[in-house]
Amino acid sequence: MVETVERTAEQRFPSPFEIATPAGAEGWQRMYPYYLLFSEENREWEDSMLWFQDGMHHPEVLYPFDTITHECWRVALGQYNTRVFSLPAYGIEQRVLNGYLYICAVPVSDPNTIPARIEVFLKRAGEYYGNWNHYFDEWKVKMTRVIDDLKGLGVPSLPRLEPERVVTEGLGKTAGYDLLAAYHRLIDSIFLAWQYHFEMLNLGYAAYLNLFMFAKQAFPGIKEETLAQMVAGADILFFRPDDELKKLAQLGLDLGIADRLRAPGKPEDIVASLRNDPVGAKWVEALEAAKDPWFYYSNGAGFYHHHRSWVDDMTVPWSAMLGYLDKLERGENINRPKEEVLERRERLTAEYRDLLPTDEDRATFDQNIGLARTVATYIEDHNFYVEHWYHTIFWNKVREFGDRLVEGDVLDDREDIFFLNRWEVGQALYDMVAGWASGAPTRGRRYWRKEVAERKRICSILAEAGPPVPALGPVPDEITEPFTVLLWGITTDRVKVWLGAGETTADNQLRGVPGSPGVAEGPARVVLTAAELDTIRDGEILVCPITAPSWGAVFGKIKAAVCDIGGIMSHAAIVCREYGLPAVVGTGTGTKKIRTGQRIRVDANVGLVTILD
Amino acid sequence: MPTHVVPLEACTADDRGLVGGKALGLGSLLREGLQVPPGFAVTTDAYRESVVWPGLQSEAVRLLDRCTTDEDRVRASEAIRAMFERAEMADTVATEIALAYRDLGGGRPVPVAVRSSATAEDLGEASFAGQQDTYLWIRGADEVVAAVRRCWGSLFTPQAIAYRAHFGIPTRDLAMAVVVQRMVDAVAAGVMITLDPVTGDPSQITIEASYGLGLAVVGGEVTPDRFAVDKVTYEIRARAINDKPFAYHFDPDRREVVARDVPEDDRTLPALTDAEIVALARLGRAVERAHRGAQDIEWAIGPGRNGEREIFLLQTRPETVWSRRPRAPIADPNEPILERMLRAMRQPLRLRDDGATSGGAVPAAEEEGAGTAH
Repeated sequence: MVETVERTAEQRFPSPFEIATPAGAEGWQRMYPYYLLFSEENREWEDSMLWFQDGMHHPEVLYPFDTITHECWRVALGQYNTRVFSLPAYGIEQRVLNGYLYICAVPVSDPNTIPARIEVFLKRAGEYYGNWNHYFDEWKVKMTRVIDDLKGLGVPSLPRLEPERVVTEGLGKTAGYDLLAAYHRLIDSIFLAWQYHFEMLNLGYAAYLNLFMFAKQAFPGIKEETLAQMVAGADILFFRPDDELKKLAQLGLDLGIADRLRAPGKPEDIVASLRNDPVGAKWVEALEAAKDPWFYYSNGAGFYHHHRSWVDDMTVPWSAMLGYLDKLERGENINRPKEEVLERRERLTAEYRDLLPTDEDRATFDQNIGLARTVATYIEDHNFYVEHWYHTIFWNKVREFGDRLVEGDVLDDREDIFFLNRWEVGQALYDMVAGWASGAPTRGRRYWRKEVAERKRICSILAEAGPPVPALGPVPDEITEPFTVLLWGITTDRVKVWLGAGETTADNQLRGVPGSPGVAEGPARVVLTAAELDTIRDGEILVCPITAPSWGAVFGKIKAAVCDIGGIMSHAAIVCREYGLPAVVGTGTGTKKIRTGQRIRVDANVGLVTILD
Repeated sequence: MPTHVVPLEACTADDRGLVGGKALGLGSLLREGLQVPPGFAVTTDAYRESVVWPGLQSEAVRLLDRCTTDEDRVRASEAIRAMFERAEMADTVATEIALAYRDLGGGRPVPVAVRSSATAEDLGEASFAGQQDTYLWIRGADEVVAAVRRCWGSLFTPQAIAYRAHFGIPTRDLAMAVVVQRMVDAVAAGVMITLDPVTGDPSQITIEASYGLGLAVVGGEVTPDRFAVDKVTYEIRARAINDKPFAYHFDPDRREVVARDVPEDDRTLPALTDAEIVALARLGRAVERAHRGAQDIEWAIGPGRNGEREIFLLQTRPETVWSRRPRAPIADPNEPILERMLRAMRQPLRLRDDGATSGGAVPAAEEEGAGTAH
């Protein structure tokens, strides 16, 4: 639950050191590495900074292992700003409080160093912008290699006796060593994937920011969303998985097997029965071809282990595919209006250009739009490669290590591994391998079962409690970290709302960011996880924590979307605009305030949601 | 063969010297296919035939040449205008006006507006147009002819005389065109500026509207409803609905414009529907395109052919405040884009409420002044 913070004279949020632990969750700190906690040792600095809860990427309680995703980007984002491209801003720092991630922008400590930093920036950023497509092509090769390497990573079981060939081939090492080495490679691998993730991202956003700042000066009233439409391409990878479902639906219709696809039962069983005859097998062949990589697609944002993907569970894509089948049978056109999107993008761009008063402004505008469009493909596509494709494989690899710990009698269930943090998994594996080697009973077998049970209890209390506050610490006069604004949507108004001094909203109203324009009224459907997606009925308004782009198919049913999380550049907002649906994102508490069945009004022109019942 | 009367839709830029700026502005709107009340221009030829040739103008010049003080000029102005009203109009001219007027109403004596239409920019149309030389709700051919004469006389109002004296414009060669146009019995009316008058944002359209004739809005007697519309996406971005206690209407019995109370329930309702707001904005954009620059437009909503609400454009002029302000480019396109980008990155996001920060997801601009984002 987000508490309203009292506005105080000096305008500050509570100190992280004043926040109470929810009853029953005492000891939550031990789930996380020491460096992610607010501490007495670092208190002076920590108390001087403004911290935001990162509701954009990490809105949910952090399971101990899952901190690895943000630990990766803490390093990757920061190093490119601070040590590589030498921006006039440093990185983003992180802390965990009551199980939730808080972040802060770190300013350059000595402003006198900025001119020298800028010199380096001009040279290095210039190199990337000047050869953007070349670097992006190389990037795709590198990223695909990381993905393939991880796929090929063996996670061996520990045999009672090592095989004969250890001796005959003189291997000189065992499965015990290989298992520990594999874990190290797993961790190295995700760190590398995230190194690549940020290789071009900050520069990409800098190009966006450049266009946004110009446009805001030329057209003070322009909507960020309109600007985004002027930059976005129509062929971004995010739409590809959904397009594949449409193709499969069409193929099912062409092959005359629509009713067999609609058969009751689990998708996996239907697929098995289709394999038995040539016609069905032909469809299954197409399905298998589409799966890799397009079903490596998270039902969430990919940052949490429990955001499962289409390959893990075909329920979501299957129901979407059947929806398309229905539409095709009714003679509806299910193709995305790609030409319309491109036509609109060109029309908007031409019209704004036309409104500029001078030739110089038009020249600057052309340059700014050109650069933003150059970087747009990377900004839109990197996410599929890393958070979806790579992460799907990653989380499942971690589960294989969970299997080994179950085999070694350390855990009861493979999923329990996520209640150990990444360092602890290394320790538990080592402990298990050492016991396997020496033949002695290990402590881990008794230690981790008890600890996991306790942590499950703590995590569920923290999840129920929600983030304690939206922000922590003093409010500075201004923030000069450029990405806070663009990526996390932190604005003056947002801070004011958090301080309780913003626009007043009635009890039955929620304010958010207008993500996609329009107004709609209808019954709400609160959906917390992808598993509930099939409960959505035609004409309902989706209320969810985050609109995962992979929920593509539900956008054909719903009238509007309301999300707790997100800003104008969130991928969710992009998808809603593509589908022409009103969307209000970043309401903070929509899923807590709205109940399924209530009639709500979504005014996405201003970002207001009203509960009518 | 002199031309005395030209239908508005036939008034083109070639005819500026003949029909004046207002007539060709309306002509261009009509040729754009926009709804403008029909009418005709009484040309400068008609003026010359009726005023210059009979010696009225040289008499006016003689009277003015004798003036030394402002008081003299006011007296001369009265004398000249009285002389214009008494004078006979050339027969052919009067006949042609009467015929054109009859055509306008399909034989019925429809109410018309009679206004001057300046033939050159340097006559400073903006400074005295729409005031003394506008005659509304004129009915009947004789009255129209008389209104045209009075309109001609308005070239010699004290303000017009002073204006010409100040800018050294000779009186001897003056000629004036006049526009005669059907009145719209407005249920709502107002103005529209094809930019945001506060920030100068050229991507926004601002509409002010109230009930009845436009007088209440133009004269600032009523706080009108105010709407901001995005010029590219045509979204209504902002609306302020104000209390509109009274409205001007033409009273056909008293043959004059009267102020009437607006029914209590309607006072705080919007004067326009959303569809009308968007339709108006689209018209504004079309007019702006046709005139190649921001426009200040007067419009009215009145009964169309079948009595339904229809939008009419009454007048358009170039917007003068922002359009005349010299616009420095926002950035120098010859400066390396990375340098510009660095400035954008270093633009601070102000978190303190200083009452001047915009709510967008982009930091406020650094520089003060025209067109910047605050």
